[in-house]
Amino acid sequence: MGTVKLPFQEGQKFFEVRLESIGGLGAHLAGMLLAEAGVLGMGLNGAHFSSYGSEKKGTPVRSFVRFTYPEVEVRTSSPVDRPNVVAIFHEALVRTLPVLSGLLPGGTVVVNTTRAPLEEAERLGIPRGAYVGTVDALGIAVEENTRVNTAMLGALTRVCSFIDPEAVKERIRVFFGGKYPALVEANVRTFQRGYEELELERVLEGPEPSGKYVRPESPFGYLTQWTGGVVPAATTVARDLSASREGWLPEFVREECIDCAKCDMVCPDFCFVWEKQTDAKGRTQMVLLGIDYKYCKGCLKCIEACPTDALAKRREEEGWAEAHRVPHRWEPVAVG
Amino acid sequence: MSAVEAREIQKLEAPVQVWDFKNGNEMAALAVGQMDFHLMGYYPVTPSTEISEYVDADRAEGRNRITMVPAEGEHSAAGICYGASLGGARVFNATSAQGLMYMLEQLPVQSGTRFPMLMDLATRSVSGPLDIRCDHSDLYFTLNTGWLVLLARSPQAVYDMNIIAVRLAEHPDVRLPAIVAFDGFFTSHQKRRVQYFKDPQVVRDFIGPLRPLYTALDPRNPITIGAYMNDLDLINNRYQLHLAMEAARQVYPRVAEEYARISGRYYPPVDLYRMDDAEVALFALNTAAETAKDACDELRAKGLRVGVISPNLLRPFPGDEIRSALARVKVVLVAERADSYGSRGGNLTHEVRSALYDLPERPLVLSRVYGLGGKEFYTDDALALFRQALDALEGREVPAFDYFGHSPGDPARALKPGLPPIPTEAVSGRIRVEPKEGGLEVKTPPIRLLTEVPKRLAPGHGACPGCGIFPAVDQFLKGIEGDVVVLYQTGCAEIVTSGFPFSSHRVTYIHNLFQNGAATLAGLVEVYLEKKRRGELPEDEDITFIMVTGDGGMDIGMGSALGAAIRNHRLIILEYDNQGYMNTGHQLSYSTPFGHKTNTSNVGPFEHGKSFHHKDTPLIMASTHIPYVFTAVETLDADVVKKAAKAQWYAKHEGLVYGKMLIACPLNWKSEERLGREIVQAAVDCCFFPLYEIERGKTRITYDPEEKGKRIPVAEWLKLMGKSRHLLKPEYKAELEALEAEIERRWRRLKALHAHPEL
Repeated sequence: MGTVKLPFQEGQKFFEVRLESIGGLGAHLAGMLLAEAGVLGMGLNGAHFSSYGSEKKGTPVRSFVRFTYPEVEVRTSSPVDRPNVVAIFHEALVRTLPVLSGLLPGGTVVVNTTRAPLEEAERLGIPRGAYVGTVDALGIAVEENTRVNTAMLGALTRVCSFIDPEAVKERIRVFFGGKYPALVEANVRTFQRGYEELELERVLEGPEPSGKYVRPESPFGYLTQWTGGVVPAATTVARDLSASREGWLPEFVREECIDCAKCDMVCPDFCFVWEKQTDAKGRTQMVLLGIDYKYCKGCLKCIEACPTDALAKRREEEGWAEAHRVPHRWEPVAVG
Repeated sequence: MSAVEAREIQKLEAPVQVWDFKNGNEMAALAVGQMDFHLMGYYPVTPSTEISEYVDADRAEGRNRITMVPAEGEHSAAGICYGASLGGARVFNATSAQGLMYMLEQLPVQSGTRFPMLMDLATRSVSGPLDIRCDHSDLYFTLNTGWLVLLARSPQAVYDMNIIAVRLAEHPDVRLPAIVAFDGFFTSHQKRRVQYFKDPQVVRDFIGPLRPLYTALDPRNPITIGAYMNDLDLINNRYQLHLAMEAARQVYPRVAEEYARISGRYYPPVDLYRMDDAEVALFALNTAAETAKDACDELRAKGLRVGVISPNLLRPFPGDEIRSALARVKVVLVAERADSYGSRGGNLTHEVRSALYDLPERPLVLSRVYGLGGKEFYTDDALALFRQALDALEGREVPAFDYFGHSPGDPARALKPGLPPIPTEAVSGRIRVEPKEGGLEVKTPPIRLLTEVPKRLAPGHGACPGCGIFPAVDQFLKGIEGDVVVLYQTGCAEIVTSGFPFSSHRVTYIHNLFQNGAATLAGLVEVYLEKKRRGELPEDEDITFIMVTGDGGMDIGMGSALGAAIRNHRLIILEYDNQGYMNTGHQLSYSTPFGHKTNTSNVGPFEHGKSFHHKDTPLIMASTHIPYVFTAVETLDADVVKKAAKAQWYAKHEGLVYGKMLIACPLNWKSEERLGREIVQAAVDCCFFPLYEIERGKTRITYDPEEKGKRIPVAEWLKLMGKSRHLLKPEYKAELEALEAEIERRWRRLKALHAHPEL
């Protein structure tokens, strides 16, 4: 105890880590194990918590870790505004959320991606002077039959250079050993691969580092909220839920479709778009046009329900869903 | 005693403590386990829910031996605890916000009849609008209940204060129930470095043996508990309670000091931080006070004489300590996470102000309401509050009372509907229902044609991938023609479709408290009918009223649903049953099947999953003699549409309809998202979830897997879900056989009902 040197920037009281993820990828667990390694394994003081609410699997979640010296008290309970390290578990989040908010100048960003670090840095607009690390956590997890969080934990441990990887492995053994002993070794391997396979580069060209942070704010206030919290109808159509997908989506093959509507009957997210068409004989029928991927969370129930080969599981590449999306046609509302 | 002295003393006497990294909920569960409590009566409510989960998980592993009684609602949970405390036992409950409100009437009974118990309150905002995050609006409701109220500002304090509270509550001069309150999420869910006694015996020795004044379990000393009183007597009972509180005022410091001797941690009635020479003080509770200490340090570094004052004890209120701490302060700003509307200050503003009244020179008291509904309180916010108090000190005009952190919003951004209303004609004219002898004749179009019907639910809701709720509700609504008003009881479907400023509902939607949906909708239906009778609504206005509820809603709301059914209102209750309280993170509901694992029915050497059989809600509802009851699953979509059409006809012409749909919860069933339909179909095919209807009292099985040659063993269903797979192991043979036997018994009974012409 007491020998660890924390790489504080000037004026910092805590070394802070923010994990940006969606529910279900295990960012909370990764943050917890990292914090436990520091506190229980290495005698640091620290805190760990996640952004909680009523959110479900697939919705954005943030997890926070703070480290400080053992004799320093942790008093604040607030989220991390100015992280030394940001870990992005799910690339799609960068489209909709300010994941880099408040990153300290010279801080580090770790991303779960197959891209090379500098390519990713350019894509995310990571500021000059920061470090960017990329790791194919999903690829590792698929190969090891584990989850991305342990691979990301490996990568995170590497960039938190004061954390002893053996201390993290010990926490992995304790956690999985208690509940799922069969998973211990695969997770230790996943961790080790994340640690080793992380590619780290310094960003030499990029935007000026600002360290500016944004805190969540409601667009509506006491002058604009409707009295009593009443909300107008159907406002969720404005939401984009693509980030809930974990890498898979259904692909629609029109030629194989018999318009039986089984997919529509089982889709939890109302993604199937239909149109009333008149056939050569003048009969009107409902015809499936495609899928509105803006709402699709990739559960793939529709594929199971489809009696033909009109729906197929597809690995999602960037831009594919946008290119193949068939948006809902809300107006005019069909009249029977 | 100072904290430093306490640490020194502890070093000398030193029972061994271990370091750990735990959150407040874990520390609460650990404390009651170490204290060897007899019983916990509980009902899950965020953010306190984890406490019961941790207690149960420890029990399953043999780390405690606390009897866990899962109530069907907090009112009963408090009743269970009261009953248990009458037996001269150590009894524990944990709750938050609505849970506290629902049990509120039980609290003064517990204190007024003087049976100590312990309850942890993970503080949360009181509805409505519903908000599950932290504020102190629930805590303030406890102030007049006659309970001791202790505050815990960190996970460490949660552990310590639970132990101190028991010793205080059971003191012969006190004998009052105690609440330990800590900030929901901020403390309940945030992991911090903590210490606890390695040997639970240290804790047990500290609290000592329970010496109840009376027990209901001693037939040799019969007593009458709960005699009623009149005007001549009640005031004396209340005076005794007052004396007990006064005794607690004397006892608390002694207990806290004694605890400090063994733990090294001292909790004075009021926590003072840099108050010795302070001119300006910030008064706040729990985590906000800790945050304010960081702000205080920043200002002190600039030479400003500021301090933080924060009670550890709220009842009895340490007014004397507060008065002496503030005697030389010029401005105190009381920051409160709850308002006492209309009184220009939360409750503590007035209590602090009144504590200062006897001072010869009273400080200026400012009051600010902040951090409601879990709004973060950053160090900058504490600085801003200090700044306001410093402004007042420097003679600038500062309002005595205000809110802090509220925002006007951008007038250019108005809330607008996402989609236009659905024209009645667009959802009419496809389904025909005609009365025929003994029932109804229903003609529905092929489901392909029904894709033309605008969905009453819009996409964009936040349910988990593969959620079974929405196909079920949407299929059901496909069978409902015309205009609809829906009411969703608290649960996943409610949460994911109606988080401000979003709504996924294209029709008018209502949410009320968890247990009160059926009553609420009954009120609306009756006023709809009354207004039609009076001609205040157009004659051709024709609305169908549908309540959507989870199985949890049918536990806590059973009384309300039965009341509505017995009164036979013209409405439909549609239950989506995913076999657990999924909205709060998978605790057992009464619909959870026997042996299944949930976070409050754990699997381990000392516990084998849920210990009682699943509730047969359709038959309970049918026993009220409502016109129509049905069960359905999404796999048989045309059947769902037909049953919905019947449901609408009966709700329009005869009275209340109840239907239950089994739906998949891949997250908590630990099953594949894509397999929802297959799993619910397996539940049907193994006869766990038979499909049938009870129409005007006559039972008809609508899908008989035996007749179709599709019946499968129960194990074929159980193997599809992680929550039940353990039942296939040899060591759970007894549980599997018990579940199979119950399924078979109920199936045979149903077939007998089906076969009988009168049933």
